[in-house]
Amino acid sequence: MIWFTWRQFRTPAAITAGALAVFAIVLLVSGNAITDAYAGVATCRSDCGNAIDAFLTQVRNSAGGTIYNIGLAIMYAAPPLIGVFWGAPLIARELEAGTHRLAWNQSITRSRWLATKLAIVGGATALATGLLSWAVTTWAHRIDSAAADRITPLVFGARGVVPIGYALFAFTLGVTCGMVIRRTVPAMAATLGVYAVAVASMPLWLRAHLVPARHETPALDMGNLDALLIDQRGEMLVKPNDVANAWTVSNQTVTSAGQPFTGPADPTHCGPTAPMRGCDAWVGSLGLRQDVVYHPDSHYWPLQWIEAGIFVALAALLAAVSFWWLRRRLT
Amino acid sequence: MTDPVLRATGLTKHYGRRAALTDCTLTVPPGRVVGLVGPNGAGKTTLLQLAVGMLTPTAGSITVLGGRPGAGPAQLAKVGFVAQDAPTYAGLTVAEHLRFGRRTNPGWDQPFAEDRIAQLGLDPAQKAGRLSGGQRAQLALTLAVAKRPELLVLDEPVASLDPIARREFLRALMAYTAEHRTSVILSSHLVSDLERVCDHLIVLTASRVRVTGEVDELMGSHYRLTGARRDPADLPAGAEVIEHSHTERQSTFVVRSLVPIADASLTVEQLTLEDLVLAYLSPSLPPHRTELETAR
Repeated sequence: MIWFTWRQFRTPAAITAGALAVFAIVLLVSGNAITDAYAGVATCRSDCGNAIDAFLTQVRNSAGGTIYNIGLAIMYAAPPLIGVFWGAPLIARELEAGTHRLAWNQSITRSRWLATKLAIVGGATALATGLLSWAVTTWAHRIDSAAADRITPLVFGARGVVPIGYALFAFTLGVTCGMVIRRTVPAMAATLGVYAVAVASMPLWLRAHLVPARHETPALDMGNLDALLIDQRGEMLVKPNDVANAWTVSNQTVTSAGQPFTGPADPTHCGPTAPMRGCDAWVGSLGLRQDVVYHPDSHYWPLQWIEAGIFVALAALLAAVSFWWLRRRLT
Repeated sequence: MTDPVLRATGLTKHYGRRAALTDCTLTVPPGRVVGLVGPNGAGKTTLLQLAVGMLTPTAGSITVLGGRPGAGPAQLAKVGFVAQDAPTYAGLTVAEHLRFGRRTNPGWDQPFAEDRIAQLGLDPAQKAGRLSGGQRAQLALTLAVAKRPELLVLDEPVASLDPIARREFLRALMAYTAEHRTSVILSSHLVSDLERVCDHLIVLTASRVRVTGEVDELMGSHYRLTGARRDPADLPAGAEVIEHSHTERQSTFVVRSLVPIADASLTVEQLTLEDLVLAYLSPSLPPHRTELETAR
């Protein structure tokens, strides 16, 4: 059964290995250029903001910037592609062609048949995404540390161990959809749909709560404002800067009573005829506070492990469902 | 070995609300080539899939070679199955199919399988998807017999084959069973396919077992009676009417009788197996017509 599963899987495995090898060469070649560009930051001893900005600008304007974006795209595309092209057809194609009736009448139980398939292709899934994520994370680590954004939602899902969890989930989701729907193409579509919802819901609603976020209410620092806007009715928006090297979940200005501050603006300080800078001084005198919820960079690995664990657990659950379905419902 | 190959008691299978097999009770003695006949949709495939464990019964029980069908590797090893349309892996070669069989069956007989492929003139390097329907059926049969089963179950093995391939397939099957004394159950909606090969018969109609028994016994206990027009009730005692048809002046009956029919007013003829089965498949006579009439 191991030989047979490998025989059926070797073509997609070879295609994937080839694609990974090509991408690995691209990363290796372009990695040197990034190391060279990083020299200015590496030798910097104090007040390195300018060196970091210069490094990021240089990378973004070179091929490295394109490869960085391609790397992000590949990291997000790989798990659903595995779910759609490895997972969904794994059982559905056999059910469609009727070959399960041949396989299930050899002297091995259908549970073992499924277990072998899940183990081999699931193992390849973890290996492929593990290697891919390791390569991209290593390649990008200088950019990530310079930009101090590895915990922000977009980068977070494309680094570390989370993609492995996504891929195992996508794979078992595809297998289960294929088994329940029994048609390859509809199973592929269902896999993609459910996967997209599940993975998108993490940064949108769930991830921020996996580890208790930091909640702070310091006095508003007028020197650290992102924006100060006044509309024609005098309503104000005072937006402090997000926290550096962190994922800022929410960030607003509140009054000393804790209510969101929306003005109204005092026309004598902030009107068109008011003196320059007077508005800043007036806002600064109101006793406003910044109300910010954020995950500092130190939450990166706890969040990584918890999110990966959630998706591995979902994958295990789906695998259990597929065994149950195979024994009880599939004919 | 006198244990039955297959024993079903009250075996019932529903797909949702639709009954595919209803209250099927039968025993198949060992060493037989059993023909399972019935019109399309009568439940033949359902019965065979229950026998190999592809399906589980809704009610009742079925044992095959003393075990629950599909219960484990040992039970699976005892039963060879060729499903309808003889599925094979289109992308795999003939040799890879044999390798698959060897890897998944402890009792696999590789020299036998290779001999058979050579005799059939199949190229081991050929992809199964490029074989003809007859060759694919032969490959599927090779996989089923090379695992050395005690019971071979074939679901409509010749339905998709042309007449020459059909004859070749049945000839190969007969040669195999004669040599290896394997029990066989094969289904067909064509009696003519089974006439030459079966020594036991099961007739299914509308999800129920209509008649079952040894072919010799069935042949020796069924008669066609022809005579002047008359009511079925006027037939000799012990004759169970299977089918009847009437013209203006003449009546024809197919009857089952354990004693020879001795009635000078009737012409008594032996039936062919095909006529016998067709009489059972004929919808002309509701099974309990007389009771229904008295009940009304």
